[in-house]
Amino acid sequence: MATALSRRTVLAAGAAALPLFHVRTAAAAPREIKFWHAMSGVNGERLEEMTRQFNASQTEYSVTPIFKGTYDELINATVAAYRTRTQPQLVQIYERGFMTMLLSGAVVPVQELVAAHGHNINWADFIKPIAGYYTHKGKLAAMPFNSSTPILFYNKAHFAKAGFDKPAETWAALDEQLRKVKDAGGPGSIMAGDYHWSWFENYSAINDYQYATKNNGFEGLDTEFTYNRTPVVQQVGRMKRWLDDGLLQISGAGVSPTAVFTSGRSATFIASTASHSAVMAAGGLEWGAVPLPYEEGRTPRNSVIGGAVLWALRGHGQAENAGTAAFLAFSAKPETQVWWHKATGYVPATNAAYELAKREGWYKQAPTQEIAIQQLMRGEPTANSLGYRFGNFTQTMLAQREEAERSFAGQKTPQQAMDDAVSRGNEILRRFERLNAGRY
Amino acid sequence: MIERSPWLDRTCHAILIIAAVLTCIPLYYAVVAGSLTTEAAQKVPLPLVPGGAFLENADAVWNRIGFGRLLMNSLIVALGIAAGKLAISLLSAFAITYFRFRFRGAAFWLIFLSLMLPVEVRIVPTFEAMTDVLMPLRILVQWSGISWLVEAMTGWRLEISANWSLLNSYSGLIFPLMASATATFLFRQFFLTIPDELCDAARIDGASPLRFFWSILLPLSRPNLAALGIIFFLFGWNQYLWPLLFTTEPTMTTVVVGIKQLVPHGDSIPAWNLTMNAAVLAMLPPVAVVLLLQRWFVKGLIESGK
Amino acid sequence: MSETAIPTLPPPRRALWPAFLRKGKAKRRSVQGIKASGFEGQLLPLLLLTPQLLILLLFFFIPAVRGLAQAFLLQDPFGQEVHFVGLENIMALLRSAEYHESLRLSVLFTIATTVLTFSVALVLAFATDRVTRGRTTYRAVLLIPYAIAPAVAGFVWAFLFNPLVGPAATFLHSLGIAWDPNRNGDDAMLLVILTASWKHLCYNYIFLVAALAAVPRSVIEAAAVDGAGPLRRFAWITFPMIAPTVFFLIIMNTVYGLFETFAIIDATTQGGPAAATSILVYKVYVDGFINLDLGSSAAQSVLLMIFAVCLTVIQFRLIERRISYEVSQ
Repeated sequence: MATALSRRTVLAAGAAALPLFHVRTAAAAPREIKFWHAMSGVNGERLEEMTRQFNASQTEYSVTPIFKGTYDELINATVAAYRTRTQPQLVQIYERGFMTMLLSGAVVPVQELVAAHGHNINWADFIKPIAGYYTHKGKLAAMPFNSSTPILFYNKAHFAKAGFDKPAETWAALDEQLRKVKDAGGPGSIMAGDYHWSWFENYSAINDYQYATKNNGFEGLDTEFTYNRTPVVQQVGRMKRWLDDGLLQISGAGVSPTAVFTSGRSATFIASTASHSAVMAAGGLEWGAVPLPYEEGRTPRNSVIGGAVLWALRGHGQAENAGTAAFLAFSAKPETQVWWHKATGYVPATNAAYELAKREGWYKQAPTQEIAIQQLMRGEPTANSLGYRFGNFTQTMLAQREEAERSFAGQKTPQQAMDDAVSRGNEILRRFERLNAGRY
Repeated sequence: MIERSPWLDRTCHAILIIAAVLTCIPLYYAVVAGSLTTEAAQKVPLPLVPGGAFLENADAVWNRIGFGRLLMNSLIVALGIAAGKLAISLLSAFAITYFRFRFRGAAFWLIFLSLMLPVEVRIVPTFEAMTDVLMPLRILVQWSGISWLVEAMTGWRLEISANWSLLNSYSGLIFPLMASATATFLFRQFFLTIPDELCDAARIDGASPLRFFWSILLPLSRPNLAALGIIFFLFGWNQYLWPLLFTTEPTMTTVVVGIKQLVPHGDSIPAWNLTMNAAVLAMLPPVAVVLLLQRWFVKGLIESGK
Repeated sequence: MSETAIPTLPPPRRALWPAFLRKGKAKRRSVQGIKASGFEGQLLPLLLLTPQLLILLLFFFIPAVRGLAQAFLLQDPFGQEVHFVGLENIMALLRSAEYHESLRLSVLFTIATTVLTFSVALVLAFATDRVTRGRTTYRAVLLIPYAIAPAVAGFVWAFLFNPLVGPAATFLHSLGIAWDPNRNGDDAMLLVILTASWKHLCYNYIFLVAALAAVPRSVIEAAAVDGAGPLRRFAWITFPMIAPTVFFLIIMNTVYGLFETFAIIDATTQGGPAAATSILVYKVYVDGFINLDLGSSAAQSVLLMIFAVCLTVIQFRLIERRISYEVSQ
């Protein structure tokens, strides 16, 4: 026995000595909660400030924010960490990763977690299209963190020159206006990098067009895309015409569409409401903002959200989970929400926070910041406007963009392009269904 | 120079100057953008001359992401990768060019094969390998039946219970990136051009293989060592994905990850001036290495061919 | 094997002829990548190889095999559900029109970057070797841009050629060229070829400079005495002498084009427009890393690896046998 023991000891000792420089952080007095995020630049600073506020508000836990690259890099880091049991307590995952995370078996639904540790959150108070996007089986699976929705920014000077004081409400009227702006010597409009989100997905929600069967995927994994049979096809055609006529410009890499807009080289800019911070940072621009346009004859509905949520990962002890729950509860407080809303331009997630921001007079100071919330709260969400729930959603979206671009390049008609996008998308959905059958 | 040919020399100078200007454009733009205020950086297109905010930006960058610590990490990692790659490749190239042994061809092609696989496929498995280095050994002991044999014969249970993880260590950042077919291949190419007479002479003198390697091959390899040293140092310095994924402590990450942290997220305030400023600051150590290793490009080391 | 040879200066006239024209004249030839004059022993070479092979085994081969096994599986990223699907992932690719197109683009891209990078680097290396004044400065200035973070370099090139704001694009427009990589796939391809070549230029340049530094001056001087001009000397003497490095660079450029360019493409075109720059390795990246479709990504890697190995073996067969590794005969 003695030999076996010593042999084990030798192996273990050798292993301990082998790593060249092993840095270990000593266990600090407050329990550490690791929070992996994808917020770089100024938003990253704001996020860090939020964790500092939480850390200062109590003494038991300390949240450490750790930057893990882009959303894509972060989800890969999460996968790698989970498979090696080195995962953090909290991760920020973008909305398109919802189904992957939900069915991963790696997460604890936040509503369960927060309730289990005795924090009171009024779950019914979350703004509907936000809660709807992330609620599964009646419970919020992940905590809304940075939510946004697209609105339409416009350059007041270019519109005034053509004799308009603001953009029209419908697509057809906007089309005419933009042609006149162009005739008056104005520029075309710049297309956001994530145009699929505003021009196809939000377009379908606002106009109440079906995007996919089974309530856009909410009712089952056997959902199938149907947008090739809706006016999304005409929308692709409209984009192609606008591009051909110089009404629409693609920024491509090397310059951000926001910078093209803020430098006055674009008539309108359909983009996330979070672009406010960038638009305001550029001086000397006369700009305004309005809700997204809709199709003539339709009653505009609520728009859908984008952004990211916080997921609580499995594999941590009770004490740590309590800290995670405490931070989640802190992030949902109206005061935190309003602070975050003002600091970053993302929308507040709850009605209480919205009311608080209103009471504080924020929208008198920044009236265009209210557009997004009003647009999200417009009417009762329908089956077509509550949100999208597709597995492998990024992959279907990239296939759709590729086909749309074939149409922009004149290689396919809009109908053909969207037919192909739908059939490629459905194949991708079937792969997800096959892998996750019975788990949703 | 051997003879004068002013026309050719002038052409050469002209070509080099044009090339130098063209290759330096990105660098110049980074300097310009890094010296603007955030507001000035929003102009499209960017101004063509530098602004006056370089030092303020540098100060902001330094404090924002703990730049000093990241620079040190990058330096250790890049030096480790470069030195490690050179060392193991020199030895293996020496083995496959100067020795006739079984598996020689197989060894070369095995090493070569490591160039042929995109990183994406092996990210997660490599991460797993790094957090549990002894896993293969455990499996080997299990599969080979050694543990069973030992137990049956002596009644002792052999267990490898050590958990050796390289996560958040410099070794974890260095080792997975050290495997290099590039250098082995280049040294092979170079060793093959070295006159056989040098080896013959060494053998006549009774020098051992390692002696020959150390006092003849190594000094002759100086220009190639310098070239590879520069390339590998920059390779290690500019690594992004591995350090990002392979560290979970912010203090263990590298400067390029730090730069990425300054890239404006989505629609937030596009403070590209800070990103570019950080990129310029992060270039200083690599530039020092380039200038230092330059001196090894001495001409005509092999003068005494047959 | 003669062991009496003592290093002496080469007879000048023979040096005029490039090594590969003197087939059969050499007494001893390095065949199959091994020195004619080497050392005995079986154990020492294995020991010398051990560090390299051990690192490769732990951090390359084991992870690679585990990664590639995914090609025959359908698995969710978190690894809780695994289905064995045999060749289904691979067959799906072989049937896919997008995959065929991607293969065609990859071949085009790889050949273009290899040729462009190498030829420009060769001219620069020759010029650097030729000039006497300012050689160190030129070398430094041509190497330093390689140190800039790739993400930043990619961004700046994309900016320069951006059809809306880029100075280079404005210049092209003023020449009447309708440059628009955002809508025109061919323009986009040209842009990624240029950017990728720029990125790899320093790499080619530095090794060529190192190789030129190793060419014995006595040989060149002997040729000069015989009256060969600088360009002729380069073509007939120096170039064959650096052929081993040239071969190395051709292989490495191929590998670079096939495997290491996804970051450049991601920074400049993201594979677009309409997948016009979505070469094989970029598809592997998008499907594996962005879409988390491990099965397809691994299947693509298997095919890419087979393709690359075949290509390399052909290159070794075709080119290497024409190289003489004897420098100074």
